[in-house]
Amino acid sequence: MKTWKWVASASAVALTAALTVPAQADVSIDDIVNDAATAGDIVSNGIGPQGQRYSTLTKINKDNVSSLVPAWAMSLGGEKMRGQETQPLVKDGVMYITGSYSRAWAIDVSTGREIWQYDHRLPEGILPCCDVINRGGALFGDKFIFGTLDAKLVALNAKTGKVVWSKKIDDFKAGFSSTAAPLIVPSKAHGPILVTGVSGGEFGIVGRVEARKIDTGDIVWSRPTIEGHVGSLNGKPSTMTGKKNETWKGDLWKTGGGATWLGGTYDPDTKLIFIGTGNPGPWNSHMRPGDNRWSCSRLAIDPETGNIKWGFQTTPHDGWDYDGVNEVVSFDLNGTKAAATADRNGFFYVLNRENGKFIRGFPFVSKISWASGLDKNGRPKFNKDNYPGNPKDSKDGKKGKAVFAVPSFLGGKNWMPMAYNQGTKLFYVPSNEWGMDIHNEPVTYKKGAAYLGAGFTIKPIFDDHIGALKAVDPASGKVVWSVKSKTPLWGGVMTTAAGLVFYGTPEGDFKALDATSGKELWSFNTGSGIVGSPITWEQDGQQYLTIVSGWGGAVPLWGGEVAKTVAHLNQGGMVWTFKLPKTVAAN
Amino acid sequence: MQRPPHFLIKHISRLSLFALVTMMACAPSPSQAEMPKDPLDSTMWEDLSKRFFGTAPIVFDDKVRVVVPSLVENQAQVPVTADARALRDVKKLIVFADLNPITHVLTLSPRKAKPYISFRMKVEQATPVRAAALTGDGVWHVGGVFLDAAGGGCSAPAMARKMADWSETVGQTQAKLWRELDGSARVRLKVRHPMDTGLATDNTPAYFIETLKVRGSEGKALADIEMFEPVSEDPTLTLMLRLPASTINVELEARDNNGGLFQSSVPAPWRQSQAQ
Repeated sequence: MKTWKWVASASAVALTAALTVPAQADVSIDDIVNDAATAGDIVSNGIGPQGQRYSTLTKINKDNVSSLVPAWAMSLGGEKMRGQETQPLVKDGVMYITGSYSRAWAIDVSTGREIWQYDHRLPEGILPCCDVINRGGALFGDKFIFGTLDAKLVALNAKTGKVVWSKKIDDFKAGFSSTAAPLIVPSKAHGPILVTGVSGGEFGIVGRVEARKIDTGDIVWSRPTIEGHVGSLNGKPSTMTGKKNETWKGDLWKTGGGATWLGGTYDPDTKLIFIGTGNPGPWNSHMRPGDNRWSCSRLAIDPETGNIKWGFQTTPHDGWDYDGVNEVVSFDLNGTKAAATADRNGFFYVLNRENGKFIRGFPFVSKISWASGLDKNGRPKFNKDNYPGNPKDSKDGKKGKAVFAVPSFLGGKNWMPMAYNQGTKLFYVPSNEWGMDIHNEPVTYKKGAAYLGAGFTIKPIFDDHIGALKAVDPASGKVVWSVKSKTPLWGGVMTTAAGLVFYGTPEGDFKALDATSGKELWSFNTGSGIVGSPITWEQDGQQYLTIVSGWGGAVPLWGGEVAKTVAHLNQGGMVWTFKLPKTVAAN
Repeated sequence: MQRPPHFLIKHISRLSLFALVTMMACAPSPSQAEMPKDPLDSTMWEDLSKRFFGTAPIVFDDKVRVVVPSLVENQAQVPVTADARALRDVKKLIVFADLNPITHVLTLSPRKAKPYISFRMKVEQATPVRAAALTGDGVWHVGGVFLDAAGGGCSAPAMARKMADWSETVGQTQAKLWRELDGSARVRLKVRHPMDTGLATDNTPAYFIETLKVRGSEGKALADIEMFEPVSEDPTLTLMLRLPASTINVELEARDNNGGLFQSSVPAPWRQSQAQ
C-alpha cells in the first residue's frame, strides 16, 4: 500500500516539474563578464567577477526596506543540516545553489519549488577541515559546476541535474577537498576556462590554481603557489613558481601549504585572475626559516599561460595561521585601478591591481598584537616576541613558549566576503575581534594527518562583542562605522545602489543597514544561523533578495572559548527569498 | 459546504463524452481497447503497463521467462534470470518489480546479444517480477513470476557501508568470457559498486551505475544495459553475446550517476579442446 502511494506521488511531481520549468538560455562568457551591470541575473560568485557584491538595483530602498516579506522558503532537508555557506546564482527564473555534504539544487524562483537535486555520494574518509560546507557553483553554457568534499569537480546539466562530467582534482586521502565556487574566465588562447583552487592547507598539501576546459574538465594549465614547484601548460611543464630555496630553506617547501581554498576573482579591465593563498605548512614557523613565498599572499595570474604577473605577501613567514586567502576586490580609487583585500592578519590592504604595488594598508580590527604596523611597501613591522616560541628552546623540546596573539587564527576576517559600494565608496567588512593562546610543537609530515605543530585556543578580547560589520574607507584608511555582534560573523555581505547593506548573523537575523550610517533598517530571523552570502536581482519588475540560512562552518569546530557563545545555536538548511508586498512595491 | 447538484451532473456528462470519443479513436487497436488480464493479478499492473508500454500493444507470453529461486535467502541479493531467447527480433528487454519502491530494475538493449540476462536484485517485499520484450513489430511480450520474499532489501544500507572505504574499490571489475559451440559467447561480470538506493535510513544518497556498455572490436555495440537502484550491490551479470571469432577483447564501460566512469577489457580467447 505504502509502495503504491510512493510511485503515484513521484510521477505526479515529475510531471509538474516538467510543465513549469522556465525557458533557460545558455550562460555566455559576456553574461559572466558583465554580471555586475545586469540586474536580471546573478551568474557569478561575487555578483560580478570583480567581486564587489554591489547591485545597481534601487527598487528596495531605505524607505521601503522595512516592509520586506518572505516570498518563499525551501528546506534543504535530508537531515543533513550543517553549515550553508553558499551564494546562490539566478538565471532565467531558475536559482542554483549548493549545500552541505556536496549537494546542489535548481529551484524555480517564481514558486520556490525544486526542479532537481544532486546528492554527491561522499566516501567515508573525507578530510574537510572546517565543516562539510560548500560556497557555491559556477554557471556556464548549459552546465552548473561545483566542487565536492572528496576533491572532485562535477559538471551538471543545468536543466536536468544529471552529471555531464566529473573530474578528480586530487587525492582526498591526502587532505585535498574543494569547497570554493569555481571561477569562469575568458581567455584568447583557450576560450572560456574554469579556474579553481584546492583546499587542504592543514594537511601539508601544496596549493595550486588550475584552469580547465569547461566542456570536458580537462586541465589547460596549473600553477603551484609555493616557490620551487613547476607549473604546466597544455600538458607540458611550464615555468617554476619563484626560485627554489629563495625564501624557503631546506625541503619544507615540498609540503609548503599555500592552499587556494577560497577560489578567486577576475578583473576584465586588467585581464588578470586574483587569488589568495593560505598558510604555509606546518604552522610551526621555526621549522621553515624565510618568507615562505607565496604562502599568505595575493597572486595575479595571467589566464593565457597560468604565469604569475605579480604577487603581494601579506604575512611573510607566518607564525599564526594568518591563512590569507581573502578575496581581492577590484575597484576604482579616484582613477587608480585598485584592488582591496581584508586579511586574516587584521590589516586592510589597498593595492594597485595592475602591478601589485602597495598603496596603503591599515588595521580594520582592534588590538593587533603580532605587528605594530606596515612599512611603506606594506611589509609588516613584526613584534618578534609575539611569535610562539621555538619548541627547541624548551627543556624537553616538546612545547615552545605560549603567546597571546591578536587576531586569532580564524582571522580579523575569514572566508566571508566583503562588499564595495560604488556610491558610498566604502567597503563593508564582516570582521571578528578575538585573540588566541598559541604554542608550537615539533611535527613531521604524514599523508592525510593534520600538519600543524601548534596548539591553540581562541578567546574573546571584548566583553560585549566578537563580530563587527565595519564600513571601511579605502581612501582614508578609516573605519567609518561599526555595528557590533555578540557572536562571530561568518556570512557574506552585499550592498546596493539604494544605499543598503545586507548581511546575516549567527543568531539567524538577516539584516539591512543604512550604508552611510550603519543604522539598522530591517531584520528578519531565518530560524538558523546565517553563514551564506546574500544576492539580489530583478525579475518581472520586482526586486528579490535571497539568503541561505543554516548554522555551521569553522567556528563551532575551532572556536575554543568562543565556541561557547554559539553552542546554543541550532542547525538548519533553508533558502529564504524576500520581496516587497505589492502595495509597497507599487509606491 | 455542499456543491449544487447540477455542477456534478454537468461534470459527469462532460467526462463521459470525453471517454466515448477516446474509445472511438482507439477502437482499431484491439489490444488497447481490451487490456489483457494480468495473470499475476497485481494491483499495480494497470499503472505500470501504462508507464512502461504507453499505448503499445501488449501480450502475456510464456516465451518470456523469468526465473527466480523458490526460496529467497537474502532479499538484497535475489538471483533473477530474464530470458526471451524463444522470441525473434527482440529490441529491448526490460525487468521490473511491481511492488518495489523503485519499480524499474534494468533494461537490456541486446544489439548483438541474445535477449537474455542474469543478475541479482534487491526486493523490499514479496512482489511480481516481470520481464517484457519489445519485438521489431512493436509488440511487448510480457512474462513474469511472483517472488515470495521477506522485506527490506531496498532500505537496508549497502554492505559497503561497513567497509573502511568503498571508494578504494569502486568500479573494480572482474569478468570472464566463454565461447560456446554455437558461436556465441557467455560473459559473466561483476563491477564493484555500492548501488545505494537513496532509501536507506542513514540518508546515504542514491549512488548507482546507470549505464553499462558492452563493446566488441572497433567499438561495435554488443549490448547496452540501463540499470537502476534495485540492481544489487556489486552488480553481477551474465550476458550471451553473438561474437565474431576474430574478436580479441570485449570492452566494458560502466558509468554511475555521479559521473564515475569505469572501463575494463575482457579477453575473448577462442579455444576448443582437441578430442583425444
